[in-house]
Amino acid sequence: MSFSLFRGAIFSSLMALGALSAAHAQQADPKLIEQGRYVSLAGDCAACHTNAGGKPFAGGRPIGSPMGNIYASNITPSATNGIGGYTEQQFADALRKGVNAKGQHLYPAMPYTAYRGLSDEDMHALYVYFMQGVQPVDNAVQKTKLPFPYGMRGVMFFWNTLYLDSGSFKASDTASAAVNRGHYLVDTLGHCSSCHSPRNLLMAEQSGAYLAGAKIDGWIAPNITSDPVSGIGGWSTDEIARYLKNGHVDGKGQAGGGMAEAVEQSLRYLSDDDLTAIATYLKTVKPVRDPKDSKAAYEYAGGSPLPSISELEPQRPDNSANPDAMRDVSTTDGTVLYSGACASCHQPGGKGTENQYFPSLSHNSATGMSSPDNVVMTILHGIERQGADAHVLMPAFGRDMNDEQVAAVTNYVTAHFGNPDARIDAAGVAQIRAGGPRPLLIRLTPWLMGGGVVVALLVIWLIVSVVSRRRRRRR
Amino acid sequence: MNPQYDADVIVIGSGALGSNAAYELAKLGRSVIMLEAGSRIPRWKIVENFRTSSRKSNFNDPYPNEPWAHTSYDPDYIENTGSFNFKPGMLKLVGGTTWHWAAACWRYLPNDMKLKTLYGVGRDWPIEYSELEPYYQRAEEALGVSGNGDEDQSGQAGKPWPPRSRPYPLPPEATTYMNQRLNERLAKEGYHYIHEPNGRVTRPYDGRPACCGNNNCMPVCPIGAMYSGDMHATHAEKAGVKLLTESTAYKLEKGAGGRIVAVHYKKPTGEDIRITARYFVVAAHGLETPKLLLISGVANSSDQVGRNLMDHTGIGLTMIADEPLWPGRGAVQQGGIFNWRDGDFRKQHSAVKHSMANAVPNLAVTNRLLHKGVVGPELDERIRHDAARWVDVGTVFEMLPEAGNRVTPSDKKDALGIPMLRVNYDVGDYTKAGKVIAKQDYAKFAKILNAEVIEDETGWQNRDHIMGSVIMGSDAKDSVVNSECRTFDHDNLFLATTGVIPASGVINPTLTGVALSIRIADTIHREL
Repeated sequence: MSFSLFRGAIFSSLMALGALSAAHAQQADPKLIEQGRYVSLAGDCAACHTNAGGKPFAGGRPIGSPMGNIYASNITPSATNGIGGYTEQQFADALRKGVNAKGQHLYPAMPYTAYRGLSDEDMHALYVYFMQGVQPVDNAVQKTKLPFPYGMRGVMFFWNTLYLDSGSFKASDTASAAVNRGHYLVDTLGHCSSCHSPRNLLMAEQSGAYLAGAKIDGWIAPNITSDPVSGIGGWSTDEIARYLKNGHVDGKGQAGGGMAEAVEQSLRYLSDDDLTAIATYLKTVKPVRDPKDSKAAYEYAGGSPLPSISELEPQRPDNSANPDAMRDVSTTDGTVLYSGACASCHQPGGKGTENQYFPSLSHNSATGMSSPDNVVMTILHGIERQGADAHVLMPAFGRDMNDEQVAAVTNYVTAHFGNPDARIDAAGVAQIRAGGPRPLLIRLTPWLMGGGVVVALLVIWLIVSVVSRRRRRRR
Repeated sequence: MNPQYDADVIVIGSGALGSNAAYELAKLGRSVIMLEAGSRIPRWKIVENFRTSSRKSNFNDPYPNEPWAHTSYDPDYIENTGSFNFKPGMLKLVGGTTWHWAAACWRYLPNDMKLKTLYGVGRDWPIEYSELEPYYQRAEEALGVSGNGDEDQSGQAGKPWPPRSRPYPLPPEATTYMNQRLNERLAKEGYHYIHEPNGRVTRPYDGRPACCGNNNCMPVCPIGAMYSGDMHATHAEKAGVKLLTESTAYKLEKGAGGRIVAVHYKKPTGEDIRITARYFVVAAHGLETPKLLLISGVANSSDQVGRNLMDHTGIGLTMIADEPLWPGRGAVQQGGIFNWRDGDFRKQHSAVKHSMANAVPNLAVTNRLLHKGVVGPELDERIRHDAARWVDVGTVFEMLPEAGNRVTPSDKKDALGIPMLRVNYDVGDYTKAGKVIAKQDYAKFAKILNAEVIEDETGWQNRDHIMGSVIMGSDAKDSVVNSECRTFDHDNLFLATTGVIPASGVINPTLTGVALSIRIADTIHREL
């Protein structure tokens, strides 16, 4: 269904519903429920509120933070354990202000700073969907118990004063409808900036670096500004839209990690019009250039000459006299490791298969970025992604290779197929394996303990940042 | 867990059967130690070993054959005293021999399990198919089996059979051109081609990529789409199982009340270690399991340990058909002809299965041409011609349990001083009668395909399906284990091996072994 049709559906539904205080008082128009379901997909509510193996939206999924797990709440219309008793105003306050029906502050694992911009139409549809389109489940969710001082929800009041800007999304009068729609989806439901914008010392989004890329749980969420070198200015609108829908574009890149999850759980369900709107908007975002970058990541295709077949597959003598060599897994020769672990799918020449089901490692944004983190993460954890067109999986090699071996494969791949300047050593792999560099604030936390409210405030900032960044962490 | 034991359960062997039993127990909260004689070797290393070898047709070659953990092609490992050279492919490493198999995942038919009752030959299983069915389903879900649940796998073109409680976890792969053509031409003469359910995933499943047709299932799937036991060894470890590699069990120690109290194992250094548990599961392969019982002097009051050894000893047919069929696309086998899988004929002769091999035949084709003296441009041309039309039929026969077919400890010892294997094996009359039927089929196949027969007198061949060696039955006097795979002599000793299978049928037994292993885990969990 197109965007304009949705708007029509919302409008007529609103007319029909009138001033009902609670949507479940009367059976709503199925179109309105469907619109609410669509909004929930665009907002990716299930990513946190549906537990692995659990009923939809019944909560309980642990969201990891260094202070302990935050358990996502049950948002089914269960009267006892869910939000069945919420009025539309209470529902809207939870989404826009981070305050639940009891008046308690939510932890910002709930991205209410982004959802604050939701339109009234979408908020209403979402409410109706959760009241009437979702099966109530009386699942009692484990209580989130963070140790002192992290458990002080009241402190969120101060944080909100600092970071919760007021008002809903304002469309620009000068921009096209598509750009406005894309802007709305990117900034509210999609909350793209929570991963793609870098953070400052206190973990707030850096001003002037909107969507300029950031490190999250070991991955790099790339720069998605319109810069043609560091960002996605060289991607066509159609390519961006297809990437969001399928999770890959030949000659450009593939989604892994949190982006694969976003494609699988949210973006692949969006209408082509909305995906095009997002792409159209992103192409207007102010370009941010990283001085380290000299050409777009997808333009790189290696440089080092490929080893000969006799180097890739040297003939080994019959090892019956030396069986230990058959189980000696100590090699740190990238050529040997690539041949054994990677070449079956990506091919000895790194070009993948003809249909690109196994993608080329050249002209691939993961191998062409100036930092090879995403190559390392892909090797360590693999990729599984259900896009609109296919379900793909690359196995994880983190168990079968040590840090030095992962570094060797990474350097082999970037040297031969990607950006030859993107190199890493075993220590770098170890850091990425552990979840990426620790923010300065986390490293300082032990020194800050004991400082009263200041500490508590810092801690809240910490929770905000870590939680919003880990929200999409794979189960 | 009782602190006086090292674990609730010790599992000996980390192949598909042992690893699945260990994983199920660990999931249920039991403490488990799993012993493995061989090493843990990552897939990339085995692929490297394969790539760098010129011995591509030796499926054991990419795997280490250590003096303290022999693979089966070591000349000293199995000493044969019978008329047949019994030498199955067999590996010792974490994951076991499923590192190289064709991943066929058949279920037995209800009738297969009532052979004596229905046809007056061999033995019955002590349980019915319906008891095993839920465990078949769980085993299929564990292994990620792709199958066609709409076919009559008994080969009689009837209703879907055997019955199943849920669909196959994964849909079957596309039918290759070769199998389409063979099916079309053979069906006209009344042959029923049946798709082979298999442990190659057809979409991403359990961290495994979908099969992309590398056609290298043996000796190693380079991408891990095909199931191998190391996958559940890894699951088991993640669930808390303590996996001890390079640890060869050589003695089960008896204690009071006929219970097993400990297992003794040796490291390659010669270090000798004793560990204790409340329950023991021996999952050490169909030849090594009876050997361990015999050298330990346990579980053999029936004198049946090591006896009744069965393989699906087979024969083969190689032809060059009159049209290009392009074998080698997709997995190494995809199905076969099952007309002789079940019927009243089993009173007279064995059941017969013809499997249509789909391996890339270039090596065999080229070898043959070189031996005929074909060289130069003609060689290239003939390789292309013959390889495109090569039809390789692998036939297996049902065997009956016979006491004289047996495995015993050999006088020869490995580097740890542990006896190796001696096998005495002859092919019986029931199977020889089946061979007559198979040869009649061969003549028909050649005629239907208007083919040049390259080889139709291969002699008996190994099929690597070890059964009967620790036979299951309802009577402690003539069987080693009961219907639960529990030894009659020791309440806390279970055997997780295809060696328990008392009636062989014609299907690859690994899936049945995994189903029985999961059932063992459930049984032990109930009693702990």
